[in-house]
Amino acid sequence: MATVKNWQISRDMEYPYDEHRPKRQWAIIFDLNKCIACQTCSLACKTTWTSGKGQEYMFWNNVETKPYGSYPLAWDVRVLEKLGKQEWKKNEPYYGKTIFEGADPTEKAVHFAPKDEDWMYPNVGEDDCAGTVVAGDHISLPHDKWFFYLPRTCAHCTYPACLAACPRKAIYKREEDGIVLIDQSRCKGYGECVRACPYKKSMYNTYTRVSEKCVGCYPAVEQGYQPMCVQNCIGKIRIMGFVNPPWKARNNNPVDYLIHKLGIALPYYPQLGLEPNIYYIPPIHADRDYLAQMFGPNVDSAIAKYKKLKDDPVAQGLLVLMGSSDRILHSFDVVAGQATGYDEKGDKIVSVPVHEALVERPAFDAKNGTIRNNTP
Amino acid sequence: MKVNSFFIALVIVNLLTAGSLKAEILAKSVKADLSAFNKEESLWKNAKEEVVTLMMQPMVAPRPKVTTTEKIKVQAIHDGNWLVFRIRWADPRRDDAGKLGEFSDAAALMFPVKEGPPPPIFMGAKDNPVHIYHWRAQYQYDEEHGKKEMKDIYPNMSIDMYPMEFKDPGKVKGLTKEKREQYVQGQAAGNPQSYAKHAVDEIFAEGFGTSAVIENVESYGKGVWKNGEWTLILGRHMSRKNGSSLSVGKDTHLGFAIWQGSHDEVGSRKTVTMSWTPMKIEK
Repeated sequence: MATVKNWQISRDMEYPYDEHRPKRQWAIIFDLNKCIACQTCSLACKTTWTSGKGQEYMFWNNVETKPYGSYPLAWDVRVLEKLGKQEWKKNEPYYGKTIFEGADPTEKAVHFAPKDEDWMYPNVGEDDCAGTVVAGDHISLPHDKWFFYLPRTCAHCTYPACLAACPRKAIYKREEDGIVLIDQSRCKGYGECVRACPYKKSMYNTYTRVSEKCVGCYPAVEQGYQPMCVQNCIGKIRIMGFVNPPWKARNNNPVDYLIHKLGIALPYYPQLGLEPNIYYIPPIHADRDYLAQMFGPNVDSAIAKYKKLKDDPVAQGLLVLMGSSDRILHSFDVVAGQATGYDEKGDKIVSVPVHEALVERPAFDAKNGTIRNNTP
Repeated sequence: MKVNSFFIALVIVNLLTAGSLKAEILAKSVKADLSAFNKEESLWKNAKEEVVTLMMQPMVAPRPKVTTTEKIKVQAIHDGNWLVFRIRWADPRRDDAGKLGEFSDAAALMFPVKEGPPPPIFMGAKDNPVHIYHWRAQYQYDEEHGKKEMKDIYPNMSIDMYPMEFKDPGKVKGLTKEKREQYVQGQAAGNPQSYAKHAVDEIFAEGFGTSAVIENVESYGKGVWKNGEWTLILGRHMSRKNGSSLSVGKDTHLGFAIWQGSHDEVGSRKTVTMSWTPMKIEK
């Protein structure tokens, strides 16, 4: 085991391989306050990548309702249960065990091995809320009856458990963008990655008899485009970019800005120790203890800052840029109420007003001498 | 390191107790054609059955926590060109995999490639390769019945349409085989795992995690599971270019590995022999 730096838990940790950060790291940020679980992302991914034999059950991108939804069944609670109770105090590094540190000497990572039936209910728990709604209930904030939607792809982790567990070294992390891939010519389908990935984003293909996973839409990324799940998000809740570690963070990089400068986008289950590279703006009305378990102790400050975004024109501009272009925004600025995204060379990709101009049309159209109404 | 001393302790315990140290396999010469599977029981009547002790693979994680297959019974015969083994071991359930999370029963027989002292038993070493004959119940199914289709694996599964299979007579022509293969990633990448298999894979390895399947196979295997026991007949050609090459009267060494699918054994989760078993090929 090597000692590597994991900034998400603010300490060094044990990992089977040396620390080696790629030149750039693929990352997606999801604003969970905006996701409506329309599953357009899931379908965009499905039709692009997993329409073949043996992939029928696969959703490299899925959206599950928390707390009761999960795919495969109860992946999160089963991994947490195997890891056992760990503590993470506010404003301190995480001193509990990661899945690598907690592993039995016979294993590379604390894990559970999903079986056939665990993959059969991709929409289990959909729209189920935590708690029973009884007569006379009314809404209070945060909601005491709550749920939220959690869209998930592979996190193309800095310290992937799939890669650590593969006895054939058939999994690799790309130097150019940090995307983690399973070599389809080398994999022998032992399923060690399926077992070891705590997020359960490696999937076995029973027809090809090798394992597969989200490829980060690398053919698009190589050409400067965001993945299909991001491009097709109708709620514009996502942005894909290249995240830097905090010591290299660049304030004009959209994802660095949300993750490092503002601290409103948090990795999920960072305590597992993989340094996952999908980040979430937590839902402001869900149960805080549950959110702290999922996003770590910084969830309170992230929500507090998110609620103050109305006073931050730069952040507002950035949120408007989310979903405004299919291309990868390498940098951005917000000047005079106009948010602009740029490509790697610094050329302008897209420019949008932070506030849409409000147009008021009088009810009576004098020119045509008629009343306007909204009937299409 | 703690872990290393644990392995060494395991190895020593095994060396002290392993029957494989005492076992020596003698391949009896028989007058028969062994170039293909021969079910004739009388071929084996003079071949002494040796018991070889196995233990859980202790060297690299992920590895099993218990030894599921403690011993195997091995006999060997040859006809001058083909060397055939009969290996038997107890396995309470027959597994040939298929569904998600299911693994196949399997066995492997390993030979050193170079002459002289054999390489490390742990699948050889750099520049000192081993030649492995890897039989799987799953592969045998391929050979006997063809590769399982999705309908064989999940008979009740419903699927609207596979886009690569879509045709509309007179309007949309079906895709060519090459185009259809693009939807089967393992095949598109040329992975032998994704095609119908011969019952035995031949593999070269230079240490754990380095195994590579050889294309030209000169071997056969047929396993029969009955009453909680596998009986596997595994035959190989004695002279193999670039591989393990044997000849009558010459000594060699053998290593064994067994996987029980019902215990989720696959890859490095296996039981193995911890020392080479010497073998003589009778003149």
